[in-house]
Amino acid sequence: MYDLKKPEHDVDQAKTKISARGVQVFYGDTQAIKDVNVEIADKTVTSFIGPSGCGKSTFLRCINRMNDTIDICRVEGEITIDGHDIYAPDVDPVQLRAKVGMVFQKPNPFPKSIYDNVAYGPRIHGMTRNKAELDEVVETALRGAGLWNEVKDRLDTPGTGLSGGQQQRLCIARAVATQPEVLLMDEPCSALDPIATALIEDLIDDLKQQFSVVIVTHSMQQAARISQKTAFFHLGNLVEYGDTDTIFTNPRDERTENYITGRTG
Amino acid sequence: MASQHIVSSFDHDLEALQARVVKMGGLVETAIRNALTALETRDLRLGQAVRDGDRVIDRMDEEIKSDAALVLARRAPAAGDLRTVLAVMTMATHLERCGDYAKNIAKRTTVLAETAQSADILSALRRMARAVEEMLSDALDAYIQRDLDKAEAVRARDLDVDQMYTALFRALLTHMMEDPRSITPAMHLHFIAKNIERMGDHATSIAEQTIYVITGEMPDDDRPKGDRTALENDDSGPP
Repeated sequence: MYDLKKPEHDVDQAKTKISARGVQVFYGDTQAIKDVNVEIADKTVTSFIGPSGCGKSTFLRCINRMNDTIDICRVEGEITIDGHDIYAPDVDPVQLRAKVGMVFQKPNPFPKSIYDNVAYGPRIHGMTRNKAELDEVVETALRGAGLWNEVKDRLDTPGTGLSGGQQQRLCIARAVATQPEVLLMDEPCSALDPIATALIEDLIDDLKQQFSVVIVTHSMQQAARISQKTAFFHLGNLVEYGDTDTIFTNPRDERTENYITGRTG
Repeated sequence: MASQHIVSSFDHDLEALQARVVKMGGLVETAIRNALTALETRDLRLGQAVRDGDRVIDRMDEEIKSDAALVLARRAPAAGDLRTVLAVMTMATHLERCGDYAKNIAKRTTVLAETAQSADILSALRRMARAVEEMLSDALDAYIQRDLDKAEAVRARDLDVDQMYTALFRALLTHMMEDPRSITPAMHLHFIAKNIERMGDHATSIAEQTIYVITGEMPDDDRPKGDRTALENDDSGPP
């Protein structure tokens, strides 16, 4: 028999990967995130849940400085990965994003071949010395994303020709090809059917062996199924953060209870 | 829970499920009362009615389980809703067992009706049954009102029932030692006492489910136990 409690037990052993202290985010005069403090464990799936506009995606995008690309966006406070401040002046956001990969809601493969989609990151970061090494990186990433067997005979065909679920796994392969330490996923299954969703969820379970996975999801059931830690955001506040099994059976805060049980607050 | 679900049919489903378990509780209370009346008044027809009525209780248990399964499948309830559905299923199981005990008491009435029984024993059984009936009723009230104090009080009252059982056990033992001809009826009366004592345990479990629904945690098993008959090593120990 599998011990259902085991994943939670493992989490207790995992060390902190990402640490946020007093994080506040502003879009112009509007404050989107209010004083968020959270420690995200390594080799763990952490889910961010909350109603639309609660700030969960905004906070997720702080972790790889995607908000830098928005002119009016201002981030205050401190976010560290392995103790290093990712907003320090000497940090190159491009290098950071190689270490902190991201997968989006809508699969967004480049208009290139399947091979080139995956090889793109390793190439620009100069991770390989020759074609043989690159081939190996591409194969490993595609295998890691559970896509290899479906595409190995058509690596030179366009990535955009794949089905939605395959495209999303291609994007995951692209993200893992640069050997990241953290994988951020912003509603990665919301455009997928249940079978493609199950494949991605199975994949996420494997990926957490290697790194810290943070996933934003609107599916409460998905958060309950795949994550070991859950954070509930509401109106820019991190309302409750804890073990997923506690959040979904016995949350402490009434706002969390109302949200996960589908009640008007 | 004060606030309502965005999907109003979810509220309806949960209310219907809880209303059904309360109705089932009412049937069980009536069954206990009637079984004891049948015993005291040697009313064989009432005894038979209790036995027949158990089928209705069994069917309600099945209906509650299948309705709860539908709620789980359709709504994927979480947190307080999940605890509510789980508690309703467990409570139905406890009530179904109580129904079986009432039926068993009614069955023994048939044998016991052939001779007159000690008025002391009968009234002690009646008191014990009344106490359990009230525990059941209060446990279900506590559930519906989400009243933690009331649920805790029901839990504490199981001690009284256990003590009543121990006293009855000793009294029956004395009867049997004094007059071996009383052994057969006394054994039946003892089983009836034991059945009532077990119903008290089920009422206690229902109160504990209420505590679980309200707090999210099962209470610790540290309440005092009054039935010490199984722990005693002298001659007065049970068979």
